Amino acid sequence: MCDATPLLTANNVHKAYGKSAEKVQVLSGLDLEVNAGEFVSIVGASGSGKTTLLHLLGTLDRPDQGTIQLDGQRIDNLPSERRDALRNGTFGFIFQFYHLLPELSTLDNVLMPQMIAHSVLGWLSRRKEVRRRGHELLEKVGLSHRLKHRPSELSGGEMQRAAIARALINRPRVLLADEPTGNLDSSTGQEIFGLLRDLNRHEGLTIIMVTHNLELAGDTDRMVRLVAGRVERATTEICDY
Amino acid sequence: MYKLLLCWRYLLTRYLALASIISVMLGVATLIVVNSVMAGFSTKLKERLHGLISDMVIESPNMEGIPEIQAKIERIRNDEFLGSKIEAMDPTLEVLALMQYRIQGETFTKYVKVVAVDPTQRSKIGGFAEHLLNPENRLHPSFNLTPEAQERYIYNHWEPPILQPSPPPHVPGEKPPPDPPPSVPFVPRGIILGNALASYRNPNATPVTPKEERDVYVLKPGDDIWIMTVSGQKLSPVVARFAVCDYFKSEMSEYDANYVFAPIDYVQQLRTMENRGTSIQIKLNDYRDAPEVKAKLKAMFPEPLYYVSTWEDKQGPLLGAIAVERGLLNVLLFLIICVAGFGILAIFAMIVSEKTRDIGILKALGASNGGVMKIFLGYGVLLGIVGAGLGTILGLVITWNINDIEIWLSKLTGHEVFPRDIYYFSTIPTDIQPMSVLLVNLGAVGIAVLASIFPAMRAAMLHPVRALRYE
Repeated sequence: MCDATPLLTANNVHKAYGKSAEKVQVLSGLDLEVNAGEFVSIVGASGSGKTTLLHLLGTLDRPDQGTIQLDGQRIDNLPSERRDALRNGTFGFIFQFYHLLPELSTLDNVLMPQMIAHSVLGWLSRRKEVRRRGHELLEKVGLSHRLKHRPSELSGGEMQRAAIARALINRPRVLLADEPTGNLDSSTGQEIFGLLRDLNRHEGLTIIMVTHNLELAGDTDRMVRLVAGRVERATTEICDY
Repeated sequence: MYKLLLCWRYLLTRYLALASIISVMLGVATLIVVNSVMAGFSTKLKERLHGLISDMVIESPNMEGIPEIQAKIERIRNDEFLGSKIEAMDPTLEVLALMQYRIQGETFTKYVKVVAVDPTQRSKIGGFAEHLLNPENRLHPSFNLTPEAQERYIYNHWEPPILQPSPPPHVPGEKPPPDPPPSVPFVPRGIILGNALASYRNPNATPVTPKEERDVYVLKPGDDIWIMTVSGQKLSPVVARFAVCDYFKSEMSEYDANYVFAPIDYVQQLRTMENRGTSIQIKLNDYRDAPEVKAKLKAMFPEPLYYVSTWEDKQGPLLGAIAVERGLLNVLLFLIICVAGFGILAIFAMIVSEKTRDIGILKALGASNGGVMKIFLGYGVLLGIVGAGLGTILGLVITWNINDIEIWLSKLTGHEVFPRDIYYFSTIPTDIQPMSVLLVNLGAVGIAVLASIFPAMRAAMLHPVRALRYE
């Protein structure tokens, strides 16, 4: 075990979906600690609650019971404005189906979290700077030639790269990736994973990645297996950050 | 910032939105056109009504009328206050009568209202000379027959000379025989007939028929008319012969089909009502003074011997009916926009469910519930503004060209869309009121916003996780 203060903690988290009669218990007493700079992969059978856990960690949903803490502060019970701000600034999300907004160009999609963060005036005053950062990020993920394209004109790999750039634009502390390679062929998946790996290694970004791909999961710092709504056991643990 | 961008992008990329825009546009255009035409009708009708009756009138319900009518007019004129407010006055003698005439040997009788006036005085009041068909009479109204009319009268009454036995030869020393009767024939006084009394509508007329050919006259200037009415002293009939001298065409069917104008001096004699009249017509310098003048006149001519009323009092029921009609029509048309509103509601609900996943994405990226709601409210406002703007343009263009459109439609369908003989307007009158256009626009945008509130709230309340899972 590492002795550093965990960045993100889930304590005895319970979560169920559905009404009382057909209630499905997804998480039941889950505990998890993620340290700053760690690259954690979460694996488990379909329906084991991986995505739900990711949503709870990212304040998209609230646990029925238990707490989520960021830097030792509870974040699951914050008022919705504070949680909106956390999702905007502290967490970055990547989804299996990319979830880009189809009406906007690649660049506008990437800039969306910045637009959400600022009012019209704030946006206009720092537009140049933000656009430059958007360009830089798109260059970094290898999409500088696709700035004006709509998502429908991009390939799956390109869309996921754009989604990664979008997740990074507000310099988040934690990247939450929900099966980022799940919809891609293995070589493109490898490229995307390599991108995440580099971000973790070179920029110290904390990444929590849900995946079905055990090979990729094995390349992360730590693999967490969910069984029946709990963490089975940590298979690998590396403290070399 | 993202709200504006997304509103704008949704507007440009959603074809469903086009349906909302069109429904608002059609509603607004209809309201503007109908309102303008209704306002046009009502303004023109008011103008007509006011044009035909004087600003104010003093009437006597008494059969013998107002005695010493000229002296009373003088009295009003000499009053310091009234004299300064009143522009013109005219004594009038109105009476119901039977009008009889012969066409091709057949006798026809019509029930008319004889309005006996002094043509010069009456034209100062207004609503008289400008409606006369003879251009000469419009400048100098009179009951004189034109030379052609006189000729026609004489021709109508020509009788073969009766063969007289030749006079006995003159015997010197005896009295010479009397002179023969004067050879200048008798021509009666002129009378002005309401246009519809003397003519009927040309059944073959189309909207493009020239004005002069739309009426077919059965009574021509110079034809004679018998008027039978009642004496002013007791209930005994009096009869007089007149000759048609001109027509009165106000395009108000009530007047054109019932009124005949006759010289007041002649009718006064006929009814033994010398220096009497049934009413004094008054024209004011400024109609806004009407309430004060009315109060003053009422004090001078107390009820029940006299009644003082303004033209609005006299036409109260009709003006009230127009106002009610317009109000009712506006309510009905507003319902049309409400229907458009429900269209927007349905379309918006569809757009929200289509955009459910995007709403989840936005929330995952940190957009607040309020922010998401504002996107859709803003979208509603935008649709409303664009729809109302296009609708205003469309409505104005239709209103400006409504007569051409009507003619085109008439030609296309072979039906007269705007039957002129019902309304007595030669064109469809319109009156675009900026205030009502503004109100219609505000109403349309308001309804678009109202209709978008419910879907916007639904969007705001969407749970991000459920929205993200939505396929």
